[in-house]
Amino acid sequence: MAENRRDEQKLWLILFQIKAIRTRLNLLAIQYWLFITLAILIGAAAAIFVLAALLNPLAFLIVGAIVSVAALLLAMRAARAALRQGANPTRAALIADERADLKGRLATVMALAETPPRSALWPYLVEDTYGLRSRFEPAQIEPRWVSRAILAPIVVGFAIVALTAALRFYAHLPSRGALAPPPDITADIGDLEVLPDDPAVKPNGRVVADAKTLRQLEAKIAQAKQGRVSNWMDKARKLAGNLQDQVTGRNPLPLSTIHLKSSNPASPNALNPPPQLAQAHPPGRAGAPGVSHSNPNAGAPGQSANSNGAAGNPDRQPPVVALPGEQADQLAQNGAAAPYQPGADKRGGGAGEPAAGTPLGGDSGGGGSSHGAGSDPAHLFGPPEAQELGSDSFKIAIDAVPSDEASSKGAPAYIPPKVRVPLSSQQFPDEPLARAAAPPEDQMTLKKVFER
Amino acid sequence: MNETQPVNGLQTPTVADFAGTFRRIQAEVHKAIVGHEQAIEELLSAFFAGGHVLIEGVPGTGKTTLVKALGLALNLSFNRIQFTVDLMPADITGTRVILSGADGRREFAFQPGPVFAHILLGDEINRATPKTQSALLEAMAELQVTVAGVTYPLPPPYLVMATLNPLEMEGTYPLPEAQLDRFLFKVRLGYPAEDEMVKIIGSTTRTEEAVIEPVFPAAEAPAALERLKRLVREVIAAPQIERYAARMVRATQPPNAHVMGETPSTVAVDAVARYVSFGSSPRGAQALILGAKVRALLDGRANIAYDDVDRVAPAALEHRIMLNYAAHSDNVDAARIVAEVVKAVRPTRS
Repeated sequence: MAENRRDEQKLWLILFQIKAIRTRLNLLAIQYWLFITLAILIGAAAAIFVLAALLNPLAFLIVGAIVSVAALLLAMRAARAALRQGANPTRAALIADERADLKGRLATVMALAETPPRSALWPYLVEDTYGLRSRFEPAQIEPRWVSRAILAPIVVGFAIVALTAALRFYAHLPSRGALAPPPDITADIGDLEVLPDDPAVKPNGRVVADAKTLRQLEAKIAQAKQGRVSNWMDKARKLAGNLQDQVTGRNPLPLSTIHLKSSNPASPNALNPPPQLAQAHPPGRAGAPGVSHSNPNAGAPGQSANSNGAAGNPDRQPPVVALPGEQADQLAQNGAAAPYQPGADKRGGGAGEPAAGTPLGGDSGGGGSSHGAGSDPAHLFGPPEAQELGSDSFKIAIDAVPSDEASSKGAPAYIPPKVRVPLSSQQFPDEPLARAAAPPEDQMTLKKVFER
Repeated sequence: MNETQPVNGLQTPTVADFAGTFRRIQAEVHKAIVGHEQAIEELLSAFFAGGHVLIEGVPGTGKTTLVKALGLALNLSFNRIQFTVDLMPADITGTRVILSGADGRREFAFQPGPVFAHILLGDEINRATPKTQSALLEAMAELQVTVAGVTYPLPPPYLVMATLNPLEMEGTYPLPEAQLDRFLFKVRLGYPAEDEMVKIIGSTTRTEEAVIEPVFPAAEAPAALERLKRLVREVIAAPQIERYAARMVRATQPPNAHVMGETPSTVAVDAVARYVSFGSSPRGAQALILGAKVRALLDGRANIAYDDVDRVAPAALEHRIMLNYAAHSDNVDAARIVAEVVKAVRPTRS
């Protein structure tokens, strides 16, 4: 009887020791989960902050979402790993068996402690295991009280500190890249073809930066606003932009402005963008196209280089189109549009003397800017003009090859270089349609046709 | 201490008694056999586990000598049958013969065959016809022989050791699966190493022969050995170990619904699916646990460890795995299959 009681006491001590091992293992598992999750959260937050500072809104939205999902998955994985590290009594006994090389003694005792009748060798097993109890002391099985996972948040913290220092150093460099607001750029895009950046806009749409350009731009923007994809893209950009502002705590980046100088001498409206264009797209965040009526250079001497000598005419002030800073930079780098420098226009007869009839950009003015002036529904009717020579239309065969230089990853749209092919001796430059009188009964029909 | 005296009388043998007796028997057998430590250990393990042993080895590797030495060390009765193609079942089990009584009357009397011994050596068992081979089935499984409607019990402890010659396969009859399954272990006897060969030459070409001392007196040997065999059964197998053995045996079975039933094995082994036509039967799991229990006792433990099961797996499972033609063409043997199975099952320890 007494011997049985001693056996039970020994068994109790063995089980108690296993329980202590289990407690220690579970404590470490909980620490592992906490520290790893903390490290993941810190790392993800830092990554999102850096991304918000470096990327444009759309890229930030995409990469930020990926980082968030990755962080979530990692956190779930850490939780699963912690669960696996956790130990029930049987597993604690098994781990102790392995670490103390007890050949399954503890696992067997643990498994059969509550299930009599027991084998004739049960007392021997208990005695044998009890004799080895010094080998499975909790401190022997698991000497650590603190999980090694504590290193993870520390390492991540150090990495973030180092990264912050690097970013600060980078921010003090002269060229701060995307972190700094782009400078204002004044450029004449009167002779510039602009390919739209937004993929929702009809591909290969061409916008010519003259009066017609503005109207087409208006039409394109209006069309884009009606498209679902474009709407969602705009919303995504705005959302990402707001998030970026919240994360970085900065104000929205100021937009670069480009002072458009139309080369179209025909229409006064060419220099004034339609009001609905400006209303529909007020200057907003980078990446959101918009047109502004404000012109900081209005009235500046020599600022207007219109071919019809519109300098000094307040009604011919060049429209100011607000473009994203990166796009403005791209325009400036491509040299497609010469930066506007008040009082420094050398393409006319002299400083401040614009050359009449010569569009900026060095183009000979064979076509483009004045094309289609007669097709404007607003100017369909009026006194007839004398038919000029060379108004016959002609066709030009164009060799075109597909290009992979499309915009991607939020980069500015690719602006192809302007290529002018000299006309042959058999060809004549295109001329605008001359106005002609139209019978009053046909005016409505014509207007409808051209409005279409 | 007198070599023939039982340790502690072995009335109530302990774990230490078992290990001591086992080592002494091993030492006695090694007087006659050079090398083959693992084979001898597996042979003795099968004996104490209450099973039978299939010994596979090329001629001249000491199969018969090993069995004889074991019989002498255990001090048990020993018979040997040379299986030939014309051997009849009655030559093994015994038969009824007409005997003349003292009063001149003649009557049928049962003449026991060589199967009636504690240790039976069936030499080159695959040379006999399946009918003759099957004569051993009842003796091996139920420790009894039925002749002419009369059942005769065999004296415990009972051990059948059959040898197989893997060469000269012409004119042999491969053992049927049911017969193979009744052998607890299959033990391989390979050629001895060079050093072992030198010892064999030295010990067998002199005038003096090795003298094997019985571990137990003849009168006490059967009972003492039976007590030790019972002690083996007392070794504790935790539920997770039993499940591990079951999982291992299931893993030897190919994913064949006709064989496996509706529940597939929890551990899938590619080599098994490719090369095995039939896996181990439940007797394989029994062999694993029993062999592991002997291993535990030899290690001074009263419980089985996972490693014990792994260690006896080759001996317990190899001969229970039927390979298909793909295995033969790819030169894959059962040993490799078992190794793959053990490797696949090991991570499932819980």
